[in-house]
Amino acid sequence: MSKEITSTSRKLDERQRNVLVPAVDIYDGGEEYILKAEMPGVAKEDLDITMNNNELEINAAVHGDTGEDSSLSYGEFRLYSYHRKFVVDDSINTSAIAAVLENGVLTLKLPKSEKVKPRKIEVMAG
Amino acid sequence: MYTTYDIFDDILGLRNDISRFFREVPVRTRSLDLPYANVYERGDEIEIHALTPGVKVEDLNLELIDNSLVIEGEKKSDYSDKPYIRKERSFGRFKKSIRLPFRVNPDNVQASIKNGVLVVKLVKSEDAKPRRIEIR
Repeated sequence: MSKEITSTSRKLDERQRNVLVPAVDIYDGGEEYILKAEMPGVAKEDLDITMNNNELEINAAVHGDTGEDSSLSYGEFRLYSYHRKFVVDDSINTSAIAAVLENGVLTLKLPKSEKVKPRKIEVMAG
Repeated sequence: MYTTYDIFDDILGLRNDISRFFREVPVRTRSLDLPYANVYERGDEIEIHALTPGVKVEDLNLELIDNSLVIEGEKKSDYSDKPYIRKERSFGRFKKSIRLPFRVNPDNVQASIKNGVLVVKLVKSEDAKPRRIEIR
Protein backbone atom coordinates (compact mmCIF):
# COMPACT_ATOMS: atom_id res chain seq x y z
CA MET A 1 0.00 0.00 0.00
CA SER A 2 1.44 3.36 -0.93
CA LYS A 3 2.11 5.78 1.87
CA GLU A 4 0.51 8.76 0.17
CA ILE A 5 -2.85 7.09 0.12
CA THR A 6 -2.76 6.18 3.80
CA SER A 7 -1.91 9.65 4.91
CA THR A 8 -4.57 11.24 2.75
CA SER A 9 -7.31 8.95 3.95
CA ARG A 10 -6.29 9.60 7.54
CA LYS A 11 -6.47 13.34 6.95
CA LEU A 12 -9.93 13.05 5.46
CA ASP A 13 -11.00 10.93 8.37
CA GLU A 14 -9.74 13.55 10.81
CA ARG A 15 -11.68 16.32 9.16
CA GLN A 16 -14.91 14.48 9.62
CA ARG A 17 -14.40 13.84 13.31
CA ASN A 18 -14.07 16.20 16.21
CA VAL A 19 -10.56 17.03 17.29
CA LEU A 20 -9.20 18.35 20.54
CA VAL A 21 -6.85 21.31 20.69
CA PRO A 22 -4.31 20.65 23.44
CA ALA A 23 -3.36 23.45 25.83
CA VAL A 24 0.20 24.51 25.06
CA ASP A 25 2.93 26.46 26.82
CA ILE A 26 5.89 27.73 24.83
CA TYR A 27 8.86 29.50 26.28
CA ASP A 28 12.21 30.71 25.11
CA GLY A 29 14.86 28.77 26.98
CA GLY A 30 17.78 30.70 25.52
CA GLU A 31 19.43 27.94 23.47
CA GLU A 32 16.11 26.38 22.52
CA TYR A 33 12.36 26.85 22.57
CA ILE A 34 10.45 24.54 24.87
CA LEU A 35 6.90 23.52 24.00
CA LYS A 36 4.71 21.66 26.47
CA ALA A 37 1.36 20.27 25.38
CA GLU A 38 -1.20 18.50 27.53
CA MET A 39 -2.49 15.42 25.81
CA PRO A 40 -3.96 12.98 28.33
CA GLY A 41 -4.75 9.52 26.97
CA VAL A 42 -2.12 9.54 24.27
CA ALA A 43 0.41 6.72 24.09
CA LYS A 44 3.89 7.32 22.70
CA GLU A 45 3.23 5.23 19.59
CA ASP A 46 0.08 7.17 18.70
CA LEU A 47 1.88 10.47 18.59
CA ASP A 48 2.79 11.92 15.23
CA ILE A 49 4.93 15.05 15.10
CA THR A 50 5.88 16.39 11.71
CA MET A 51 7.90 19.35 10.58
CA ASN A 52 7.10 20.36 7.04
CA ASN A 53 7.65 23.67 5.26
CA ASN A 54 8.04 25.58 8.51
CA GLU A 55 4.87 24.05 9.86
CA LEU A 56 5.13 22.06 13.03
CA GLU A 57 2.19 19.72 13.25
CA ILE A 58 1.22 17.63 16.25
CA ASN A 59 -1.27 14.86 15.69
CA ALA A 60 -2.21 12.20 18.17
CA ALA A 61 -4.78 9.48 18.19
CA VAL A 62 -6.46 8.24 21.34
CA HIS A 63 -7.08 4.52 21.48
CA GLY A 64 -9.29 2.64 23.86
CA ASP A 65 -8.61 4.76 26.92
CA THR A 66 -12.19 5.85 27.37
CA GLY A 67 -13.46 2.35 28.10
CA GLU A 68 -16.65 0.94 26.68
CA ASP A 69 -18.90 3.82 25.71
CA SER A 70 -21.97 1.67 26.11
CA SER A 71 -21.37 1.39 29.85
CA LEU A 72 -20.77 5.10 30.45
CA SER A 73 -23.04 6.15 33.30
CA TYR A 74 -21.70 9.65 33.89
CA GLY A 75 -19.43 11.61 31.62
CA GLU A 76 -17.58 14.90 31.57
CA PHE A 77 -15.09 14.42 28.81
CA ARG A 78 -14.59 12.67 25.54
CA LEU A 79 -11.19 12.03 24.11
CA TYR A 80 -10.85 12.64 20.43
CA SER A 81 -7.71 12.90 18.40
CA TYR A 82 -5.48 15.83 19.20
CA HIS A 83 -4.38 18.26 16.57
CA ARG A 84 -2.35 21.42 16.70
CA LYS A 85 -0.27 23.25 14.16
CA PHE A 86 2.34 25.96 14.59
CA VAL A 87 4.22 27.99 12.06
CA VAL A 88 7.89 28.33 12.94
CA ASP A 89 10.50 30.43 11.24
CA ASP A 90 13.99 29.56 10.04
CA SER A 91 15.51 30.19 13.45
CA ILE A 92 14.82 26.61 14.50
CA ASN A 93 17.17 23.78 13.73
CA THR A 94 14.51 21.38 12.48
CA SER A 95 16.83 18.37 12.32
CA ALA A 96 17.47 18.38 16.06
CA ILE A 97 13.97 18.53 17.53
CA ALA A 98 13.56 16.25 20.53
CA ALA A 99 10.26 15.03 21.95
CA VAL A 100 9.43 13.45 25.32
CA LEU A 101 5.99 12.25 26.36
CA GLU A 102 5.58 11.92 30.09
CA ASN A 103 2.41 11.52 32.10
CA GLY A 104 0.20 12.91 29.35
CA VAL A 105 2.39 15.96 28.79
CA LEU A 106 4.41 16.25 25.60
CA THR A 107 7.62 18.25 25.83
CA LEU A 108 9.19 19.37 22.58
CA LYS A 109 12.64 20.87 22.48
CA LEU A 110 13.15 23.07 19.46
CA PRO A 111 16.81 24.06 19.33
CA LYS A 112 17.66 27.38 17.78
CA SER A 113 19.93 27.36 14.77
CA GLU A 114 23.47 28.59 15.30
CA LYS A 115 22.93 32.00 13.77
CA VAL A 116 20.20 33.09 16.18
CA LYS A 117 21.60 31.65 19.41
CA PRO A 118 22.37 34.26 22.02
CA ARG A 119 26.04 35.08 21.88
CA LYS A 120 28.16 36.85 24.39
CA ILE A 121 30.12 39.69 22.93
CA GLU A 122 33.57 40.07 24.32
CA VAL A 123 34.66 43.58 24.97
CA MET A 124 38.17 44.18 23.79
CA ALA A 125 40.49 46.30 25.74
CA GLY A 126 41.07 49.48 23.75
CA MET B 1 -0.68 26.14 -19.24
CA TYR B 2 -4.15 27.23 -18.25
CA THR B 3 -5.09 27.83 -14.69
CA THR B 4 -8.76 27.69 -14.04
CA TYR B 5 -9.36 30.14 -11.26
CA ASP B 6 -12.78 30.12 -9.76
CA ILE B 7 -13.65 32.59 -7.04
CA PHE B 8 -16.10 30.10 -5.57
CA ASP B 9 -13.23 27.79 -4.70
CA ASP B 10 -11.88 30.48 -2.41
CA ILE B 11 -15.28 31.09 -0.88
CA LEU B 12 -15.79 27.40 -0.21
CA GLY B 13 -12.32 27.27 1.30
CA LEU B 14 -13.25 30.07 3.68
CA ARG B 15 -16.42 28.27 4.65
CA ASN B 16 -14.38 25.13 5.40
CA ASP B 17 -11.98 27.15 7.55
CA ILE B 18 -14.84 28.61 9.56
CA SER B 19 -16.60 25.32 10.13
CA ARG B 20 -13.26 23.78 11.09
CA PHE B 21 -12.80 26.53 13.69
CA PHE B 22 -16.07 25.62 15.35
CA ARG B 23 -15.44 21.89 15.16
CA GLU B 24 -12.06 21.99 16.85
CA VAL B 25 -13.17 22.24 20.44
CA PRO B 26 -10.67 23.50 23.00
CA VAL B 27 -10.03 20.99 25.78
CA ARG B 28 -11.19 23.38 28.49
CA THR B 29 -14.54 24.96 27.77
CA ARG B 30 -16.78 24.03 30.67
CA SER B 31 -16.77 25.13 34.26
CA LEU B 32 -16.64 21.72 35.87
CA ASP B 33 -14.50 20.77 38.83
CA LEU B 34 -11.15 19.45 37.76
CA PRO B 35 -10.16 16.80 36.98
CA TYR B 36 -12.78 15.86 34.40
CA ALA B 37 -14.05 12.39 35.10
CA ASN B 38 -16.04 9.69 33.39
CA VAL B 39 -17.79 6.89 35.26
CA TYR B 40 -18.22 3.54 33.55
CA GLU B 41 -20.44 0.88 35.02
CA ARG B 42 -20.24 -2.77 34.12
CA GLY B 43 -22.40 -4.99 36.29
CA ASP B 44 -20.85 -4.99 39.76
CA GLU B 45 -17.81 -2.99 38.69
CA ILE B 46 -17.23 0.72 38.37
CA GLU B 47 -14.37 2.25 36.49
CA ILE B 48 -13.58 5.93 36.89
CA HIS B 49 -11.37 7.68 34.38
CA ALA B 50 -10.06 11.15 35.23
CA LEU B 51 -7.84 13.41 33.16
CA THR B 52 -4.75 14.23 35.21
CA PRO B 53 -2.04 15.28 32.75
CA GLY B 54 1.16 16.35 34.46
CA VAL B 55 0.05 15.17 37.91
CA LYS B 56 2.54 12.92 39.66
CA VAL B 57 1.40 9.81 41.53
CA GLU B 58 2.80 11.15 44.82
CA ASP B 59 0.76 14.35 44.47
CA LEU B 60 -2.51 12.48 44.13
CA ASN B 61 -4.67 11.32 47.00
CA LEU B 62 -7.72 9.08 46.72
CA GLU B 63 -10.24 8.55 49.50
CA LEU B 64 -13.45 6.60 49.86
CA ILE B 65 -15.91 8.52 52.02
CA ASP B 66 -19.29 6.85 52.44
CA ASN B 67 -20.21 6.05 48.85
CA SER B 68 -18.20 8.80 47.25
CA LEU B 69 -14.73 8.73 45.83
CA VAL B 70 -12.74 11.86 46.58
CA ILE B 71 -9.89 12.72 44.25
CA GLU B 72 -7.60 15.29 45.75
CA GLY B 73 -4.23 16.50 44.66
CA GLU B 74 -2.02 19.10 43.21
CA LYS B 75 -0.80 19.71 39.74
CA LYS B 76 2.56 21.26 40.45
CA SER B 77 3.56 24.10 38.24
CA ASP B 78 6.44 23.49 35.86
CA TYR B 79 6.75 27.13 34.91
CA SER B 80 10.22 28.44 34.38
CA ASP B 81 11.33 32.04 34.75
CA LYS B 82 12.05 32.26 31.04
CA PRO B 83 10.05 34.51 28.72
CA TYR B 84 6.86 32.83 27.60
CA ILE B 85 5.47 33.02 24.10
CA ARG B 86 2.32 31.12 24.95
CA LYS B 87 0.77 30.20 28.29
CA GLU B 88 -2.37 28.13 28.13
CA ARG B 89 -1.92 25.42 30.74
CA SER B 90 -3.09 25.82 34.31
CA PHE B 91 -1.84 24.45 37.61
CA GLY B 92 -2.93 24.25 41.21
CA ARG B 93 -4.73 22.21 43.81
CA PHE B 94 -7.89 20.31 43.04
CA LYS B 95 -10.50 18.31 44.91
CA LYS B 96 -13.39 16.48 43.42
CA SER B 97 -15.96 14.16 44.91
CA ILE B 98 -17.68 11.62 42.70
CA ARG B 99 -20.81 9.93 43.99
CA LEU B 100 -20.77 6.23 43.26
CA PRO B 101 -23.94 4.43 42.15
CA PHE B 102 -23.60 1.84 44.95
CA ARG B 103 -21.46 1.05 47.99
CA VAL B 104 -18.11 -0.47 47.10
CA ASN B 105 -15.72 -2.87 48.77
CA PRO B 106 -13.03 -0.62 50.26
CA ASP B 107 -10.50 -3.47 50.25
CA ASN B 108 -10.78 -4.05 46.53
CA VAL B 109 -9.82 -0.78 44.86
CA GLN B 110 -7.26 -0.52 42.12
CA ALA B 111 -5.88 2.79 40.93
CA SER B 112 -3.31 3.53 38.27
CA ILE B 113 -2.18 6.37 36.06
CA LYS B 114 -1.49 5.77 32.41
CA ASN B 115 -0.61 8.48 29.92
CA GLY B 116 -1.99 11.16 32.21
CA VAL B 117 -5.32 9.40 32.76
CA LEU B 118 -6.17 8.18 36.25
CA VAL B 119 -8.09 4.91 36.24
CA VAL B 120 -9.79 3.74 39.45
CA LYS B 121 -11.47 0.34 39.50
CA LEU B 122 -14.01 -0.36 42.22
CA VAL B 123 -16.14 -3.41 42.98
CA LYS B 124 -19.60 -3.46 44.56
CA SER B 125 -19.56 -4.39 48.20
CA GLU B 126 -21.14 -7.70 49.24
CA ASP B 127 -23.81 -6.11 51.45
CA ALA B 128 -24.96 -3.84 48.62
CA LYS B 129 -25.74 -6.81 46.40
CA PRO B 130 -29.34 -7.99 46.20
CA ARG B 131 -30.14 -10.85 48.54
CA ARG B 132 -32.86 -13.37 48.18
CA ILE B 133 -35.17 -13.64 51.15
CA GLU B 134 -36.68 -16.98 51.92
CA ILE B 135 -40.38 -17.03 52.76
CA ARG B 136 -41.28 -19.53 55.40
